[in-house]
Amino acid sequence: MIELKQILAKLRKLNIVMFACMIGLCIMGVMFIYSACSVRENHDLQLQYMKHAVIAIVGLMAYMILACLNYKKLIKWSWVFYLACLVLLVMVPFFGTSVMGARRRIFDIQPAEFAKLAMIMVLAWLYGRHSNLNGFLMFCITGAIVGLPCILILSQPDLGTALVMVPTTFAMMFAGKIAPRYIWSTFLVGIIVAGTILGVICAVEKRDLTKDEKVERIIAITHLKKHQVERLQVFMYPDKDLHGSGYTRRQAEIAVGSGGVHGKGYLKGELYALGYLPPSVSANDFIFAVLAEESGFTGSVMVLLLFSGLLAAGLWTAFRCQFNSGRFFCVGVVTLIFSHMFINIAMTIGLMPITGLPLPFISYGGTFMLTMLLALGLVQSVSIYGREPSTSFD
Amino acid sequence: MVYRGQKLTESWRIALLALVFASFLVYLAMSLHRVQVVNGADLSRDLVRQSVRRVQVPGARGRIFDRNGICLADNRPSYCIAYYVEELRKSGKWQNTIDAVDVDIDRLAKVLGLPREISKEKVANHVKRSLPMPLLAWRDVSDQVVARWAEEVGAFPGVDIFVQPERYYPYKGTAAHMIGYVGRDRPKSLPGYKAHFYLPEMIGRLGIEKQYDNMLTGVSGGRLIQVDARGYKHAVWEGTPAVEGDDLHLTIDLNIQLVLEKALQGKKGAGVVIDPRNGEVLAMVSAPGFDLNDFVPAPSWIVWNKLNKDKDRPLINRALQGRYAPGSIFKPVTAMAALMSNKIKPDEIINCDGVFNLGTMKLHCWNTYGHGDIVLRKAIEQSCNVFFCELGQRTGYDAIRAVAADVGLGVKTGIDLPYENSGLLPSDAWKRKWKHEPWRTYDTCLIAIGQGLLLVTPLQMAMTASVFANGGTLYRPHLISRRGPGDLVRRMEWPADAVNLVRDGMHDVASIGTGRRVAIRGIEVAAKTGTAEYKVNGLNKKNTWVTAFAPFDKPTVAIAILVENGISGGYTVAPLVHDVLVEIFGEPPPEDDEAVPSFVMEGGIGD
Repeated sequence: MIELKQILAKLRKLNIVMFACMIGLCIMGVMFIYSACSVRENHDLQLQYMKHAVIAIVGLMAYMILACLNYKKLIKWSWVFYLACLVLLVMVPFFGTSVMGARRRIFDIQPAEFAKLAMIMVLAWLYGRHSNLNGFLMFCITGAIVGLPCILILSQPDLGTALVMVPTTFAMMFAGKIAPRYIWSTFLVGIIVAGTILGVICAVEKRDLTKDEKVERIIAITHLKKHQVERLQVFMYPDKDLHGSGYTRRQAEIAVGSGGVHGKGYLKGELYALGYLPPSVSANDFIFAVLAEESGFTGSVMVLLLFSGLLAAGLWTAFRCQFNSGRFFCVGVVTLIFSHMFINIAMTIGLMPITGLPLPFISYGGTFMLTMLLALGLVQSVSIYGREPSTSFD
Repeated sequence: MVYRGQKLTESWRIALLALVFASFLVYLAMSLHRVQVVNGADLSRDLVRQSVRRVQVPGARGRIFDRNGICLADNRPSYCIAYYVEELRKSGKWQNTIDAVDVDIDRLAKVLGLPREISKEKVANHVKRSLPMPLLAWRDVSDQVVARWAEEVGAFPGVDIFVQPERYYPYKGTAAHMIGYVGRDRPKSLPGYKAHFYLPEMIGRLGIEKQYDNMLTGVSGGRLIQVDARGYKHAVWEGTPAVEGDDLHLTIDLNIQLVLEKALQGKKGAGVVIDPRNGEVLAMVSAPGFDLNDFVPAPSWIVWNKLNKDKDRPLINRALQGRYAPGSIFKPVTAMAALMSNKIKPDEIINCDGVFNLGTMKLHCWNTYGHGDIVLRKAIEQSCNVFFCELGQRTGYDAIRAVAADVGLGVKTGIDLPYENSGLLPSDAWKRKWKHEPWRTYDTCLIAIGQGLLLVTPLQMAMTASVFANGGTLYRPHLISRRGPGDLVRRMEWPADAVNLVRDGMHDVASIGTGRRVAIRGIEVAAKTGTAEYKVNGLNKKNTWVTAFAPFDKPTVAIAILVENGISGGYTVAPLVHDVLVEIFGEPPPEDDEAVPSFVMEGGIGD
């Protein structure tokens, strides 16, 4: 009885705004996955929304349990979690199952998603433990911790997942007071690399070559993968190849735009129903196109507001936390969610090149959904335990 | 705050991150506003452009009736067996779907016991070009086939009956040249409405169907088909409904038409019956003809070849496209010209000795022994060539030409049918240009008896007859009833006594003259016979004519009938006119056994 009372007392400290926003997003997720998969012919695929809901409920239970546990105790063991993820990532190329040319899954989970959480946890633990160590050494350690899994993830290939770790790491380094010159210089290098690649694409585009010749030329210079080059080309010249590589981007833009102010109404979307938006992506990476088409600008803003509430509540938790590890962890998770959300929506409306990144809580995808819920569960734990320095000593 | 001697990281760093996130979120919201609110309408249009196909649907074609409301051109449902490809779609390559449909057509062909009508290439073409439309595997199948299909419908999920209207002519070849026929063609697109697909539409190709195509066609409507990403039909929306075409009511009287056709059956020739009071065409026949239903939806190879290679050229509408020398039926025009220019008096006698001498040239009268001393009225009755040659020489060509032009020769009558021929009313200038010779008196004399360079159509001669019937008014012949006065071309200022003299002459033709076989009991008829000679491959042939009008006092019909290669107008054609008049006016049974002369011969010139 006492334990239950204690648990209830703890749950009373739950960040209710964050919880509400998250539930709101999960409900939207189930709703629009139902939309997107209702038009599928395969019966199993039609039940994707059910799977999503089940994972959401399971995840929610894990969320509650994590919220009640002290994050500081968990975070100490984060390196075990990290190593486990690393092992799984190493196993993926050998034992994983291949879906559409990318080998990402093993034992029906995507270790890359867990790895994101693991990296954030390890970094938070490390920065919290050695916050005086903020020079070149820490920068290198950070690089190694993040770099190792990211290289494995990139080789799957999964550019998107690796990509979201960049802003997340930067944000954590910034919060962790790593010497700014390293941050700036890395940032600069990134800009230069990105600028060079785009410059090459721009230069090649002006040549009088066929489509395939252009792609070959660019690959020869940049050593990117073919689909990556095509996506960058589409990003820079969206109207060039509307029936080829630019097709999905174009259809997503039409879906979002034709939703107008108020949307076409729930289950009345046309782009995914008629198959213009490829059904293989409409429930996961391009779920926002379905949502925006059916609920219009109103719905889009609603999603943005829910995310804003979630992110604000997460940062508020960091703000209120009296411990560095908690703060860093919150910053990491918030940045991760923000990056996912921003990149996903931005690519849907053509502001960014297409990368296969899911929209947190809304996109269909079990491992990612679970990871997000676990991460937020831990943030709730920070919210509960981070304000009690006396009880946290061990 | 200190934890294990370490300083807590500064809160402003978190606040700065919040600020960065907030600004990115605002940027995202603004971008969404641009795409969804500002560009929303444009992108919606793009969606319609890629997912909606417009189909132009024709309105039901108007029907054609005769003056008594009998339908001459109707629409009937034509049952087609159609494949709806979206029901048989296969994933993967298009070829899979094409193969599936192809195999299914073979299967259905066996069940229905029909040979395949469409090849695999056609199936492939359909899948590539008109996927959301039904694929017509068998067109216009019989009721038995429909019944057999209905029994097997369960086994063929992608097949349905597709009904399309087909033109149907209940009287087959009746008035074929006049009614004309329709063909299937890609229809004109509506202004400002570009359709992706067109349902087959009927387009008039000949006759009334062509002339009044716009009225009969109506206004096409539009149907919208929503297609999915692969182009299969997803949903159909009714757009603007099609407007039915107008029905046409012709001036034709089917009964007269049928009698006239029967009269000309087995002959080559043409006949026209006009109402002289207003120019309405009551009947118009060109023989030989053809069955209009053979042309729907398109003539078969065999039919088309046969009709085109036929020496008798059945596709020509002889009534308004045939050019013939009028022969003696032109003589009333010559007589009128002579009377108007005072070159002859009604009681003036001219002697016919059988030959008309003009310098070194001789023109023979059909009566080799000559008619002796005759006056104009008798000359018309007897159709004396010598008399009219003399009359032509006296009157001069200019006066004759003026009257001929007045009655409408040498120009199109303006009837509401396509491809009319104007005939030929020659002139000095024409002859110099085409024959490189000046006009001679000889030409005038020949034309005075309806020979020589003059060419007319049977319709023109019917109009000429109607001008004499109504005393000098030329109407535009027409086939669509207007209800009201006719369409006046001109009213001639002909002196009444002159017209009456010529009419009296024509009256005598029908009662005691060359055209006695025209006469019917109970009604007075006026007529003029004609036999024009022409040479084909060195053989002498005769085009035989009769023009007539009745009743004599207040004429309600004017008739011209031409038979190619006949014996003489009075012998070959006059009985035909008689039959037509009997149909129109009825004939009381004979009161006594009045003997009809068994053989009345009337000849042409140059015997």
